[in-house]
Amino acid sequence: MSLIKKTGIITLWALLVLVTAVVTAAVKQRGADGPNRVFSGGAFTTGDLQRGPEPDWSFVNDIDTLELQLLEPAQSRRIWTASVDGKVYVWSGYMNSLVGKLWKSWPAQAERDGRAVIRVEGKLYERQLRRIQQGAGLEKLITIINGKYPSSTTIAAIDDGDLWMFEAAARRPAGDQ
Amino acid sequence: MKHLFTRILWVTIATAASVWFIPGLDDAVEVVFQIVVLIASS
Repeated sequence: MSLIKKTGIITLWALLVLVTAVVTAAVKQRGADGPNRVFSGGAFTTGDLQRGPEPDWSFVNDIDTLELQLLEPAQSRRIWTASVDGKVYVWSGYMNSLVGKLWKSWPAQAERDGRAVIRVEGKLYERQLRRIQQGAGLEKLITIINGKYPSSTTIAAIDDGDLWMFEAAARRPAGDQ
Repeated sequence: MKHLFTRILWVTIATAASVWFIPGLDDAVEVVFQIVVLIASS
């Protein structure tokens, strides 16, 4: 057996192991209490629900990520965040790319049903995700994002639909709308 | 050929069971996946 054939066979076996391992880890995480690194997690089962006055969300500018769970479907993911003027924002980039269309399903889910829960440092906050489709007025937020992350996003990316920006606003109880 | 499919099946089952049951292995796999994605997207 030639060396090339041997190498090819070993590569295929390694690929089988790698793909199986990744799929298994991703499926396992779906049943877990929140996300881990890049794989989506299940619904939050731990954390202290915060009620009362709206916090000043500027503290999220000092943390790397937060955990975001939608109510429908009840899946969670780790996500970048930033705050400006006391409001908290989350977003999804590369939405016009093939990778974005294949990989990122939560933004469309959030647009359909924006009810969400944010978990930060063990505290749960009930939120309502509201998509912002026009970037005008978000210059300060974009500056914060580009300073905080290795990102070079623009207002135009929001306008073009390549970056889906959501404000995670306070969620009022049903009947209090 | 049948022998090959059996081997593939056993390797798949053994890998999945290892990732599922051995503590920390799923996290390690996720780290590897994260690195692969980072390299691929850079």
